[in-house]
Amino acid sequence: MTASEALDASLAPTGVRGRAMAFFETRAWPYLFLVPALVLVGAAILYPLTSGLLLSLHNAELLKPARNGFIGLENYQELLGDQVAWNALVNTIVWVGGGVLIQVTVGIGIALLLDGRYRGVGSVRVLVLLPWFLPSVVVAHMWAMMLDARFGVINDILARVGLLGTDRAWLAEPSTALLTVMVVELWWSVPFFALFLLAGLQGIPDDLVDATRVDGASSAQRFRYLTIPFIQPVIVVATVLQVIRLTNSPDLLNILTGGGPGRVSMTLSLYAYRTAYQKFDFGYASAISVVLLVGLSVFAVVYIRRSGVVQ
Amino acid sequence: MTAATVGRPRRSTAGRVRHVLPLALLTGVVLAIAILPLVWILLTSLTPEAEIIDGPAYVPTQLTVDNYTTVWRRGDFPDLMLNSLIVSGLTVAISLAVAPLAAYSLSRHRYRGRTLVLLLFLSIRMFPFLLMLIPAYIILRDLGLLDNRFGLALAYTTFALPAAVWFMKTFFDAVPTEIEDAARIDGCSRLGVFWRVVLPLSRPGLMATAVFLGIGAWSEYLFALMLTTSRGSRTWPVGVSLLVGEFQLPYGQLAATGVITVVPILIAYAFVGRNMVRGLMGGAMKG
Repeated sequence: MTASEALDASLAPTGVRGRAMAFFETRAWPYLFLVPALVLVGAAILYPLTSGLLLSLHNAELLKPARNGFIGLENYQELLGDQVAWNALVNTIVWVGGGVLIQVTVGIGIALLLDGRYRGVGSVRVLVLLPWFLPSVVVAHMWAMMLDARFGVINDILARVGLLGTDRAWLAEPSTALLTVMVVELWWSVPFFALFLLAGLQGIPDDLVDATRVDGASSAQRFRYLTIPFIQPVIVVATVLQVIRLTNSPDLLNILTGGGPGRVSMTLSLYAYRTAYQKFDFGYASAISVVLLVGLSVFAVVYIRRSGVVQ
Repeated sequence: MTAATVGRPRRSTAGRVRHVLPLALLTGVVLAIAILPLVWILLTSLTPEAEIIDGPAYVPTQLTVDNYTTVWRRGDFPDLMLNSLIVSGLTVAISLAVAPLAAYSLSRHRYRGRTLVLLLFLSIRMFPFLLMLIPAYIILRDLGLLDNRFGLALAYTTFALPAAVWFMKTFFDAVPTEIEDAARIDGCSRLGVFWRVVLPLSRPGLMATAVFLGIGAWSEYLFALMLTTSRGSRTWPVGVSLLVGEFQLPYGQLAATGVITVVPILIAYAFVGRNMVRGLMGGAMKG
């Protein structure tokens, strides 16, 4: 019996009303407190899920209501033969896979830097996190300006350091468009990733660190055999969250390249958004989203299982 | 390896400097990369348009607030700012009316299915946002709340609420239960304990959560782009992004709108920054 439960027992009341109150005080309150949020969130998950699934089986074009109705798996059939979608799938894999790999590497580096115990480390942590709080619109336009071929500072700096001969239109050239947005995304979201990993680093007990030092382990050995295994669960969770975020948020791509030039930077989520926003073809957009959700769920389950974090 | 390990085995001063200097430099570089773009956009917003077109200017030769006045005189921008403030305020209000209760319950009681509930709140992040957006569009249209500030706030609440629950749970976990037990011995009810003891003790956490949700709603762009169409409800970020289409490349004005967007965020962040870091890290550890 915990102290709290003992207290519950000692406050035992009498009478019907008293007992009803007591029931609330000891048993019912946790559930009652939970109900409002659960109802809202449950509705916010179940409703979109079912209606998304249903819509994906319908022809639901808001601009051509005449042809709307149940069409079974036709949207999915169309998706299988859709060259744009296949191309977007490849881009999504590059955008998400490449993005997460870079972010894990850079994120661990920054987290290690932020793990110190020097004066002002608190301020450094707060300042480094700043980019993450910028709205996507500001991030996108700010970088669009900095990356501009003629007026932008990026070309200018690179030219001055001698890394660049001629001005380049980073976002307009097929070979660099996707990569450039990936760099902007890195700048934007790596602070959060680093903070996440920092939380893991701070969970490493000091005695363990001291013990490895007594045993004469080098920094590299300590990193490899203590730090990495210790923060592995945090890396796994952070990776899953970041994969979800990258797969689902086409904000930067929408503003910076719009999927172009041509379709070299069109990802699946951007394709779905454009299908819904420009053509109001909700059925087809839902089908793409359902495919994304299934893909993400499979990834999350397989990845978490295989990483051995959850038995 | 990390600066944390510095100094514990006593080294000579020279050795310490050699060890610390590269780390300090690296930290400086990271900070510079994080912050310099913001400094640059601030400077650009204060540069006359003519000077910007001459080529990349780092420090303007003359400072001007023309860009700001031009933006503000565009008529609809003050409206958009007001819309954004109202939508953000509503989102925070609805979420904070519901989330702390649930978070307190999850923090204090170990019932079956607790992990499942927490995972449910987390899984909402996994939804392709379009799968939320399309039904939201349809519901709001049917309710007559499309192109409406309250409607947009409701849509935002669907992802703000789960985040708020996770956040608040972290802060409630830090409140010692002994204080609550003492209050209950003195005859305080559960709700009374929650209202008079736990919530006041978690006020910094409540503030941090409010700011976190507020910033999220203030910054959101793709939902707002689709769910609002008129000056009566369109939000600031949407207005900023539409600025580009209307003019050719109003760099100075664009920079000015960027600064205007960021300033409220910076002010709010300055008040609760460290607590927010705590809340985020708490969520990280238990996520």
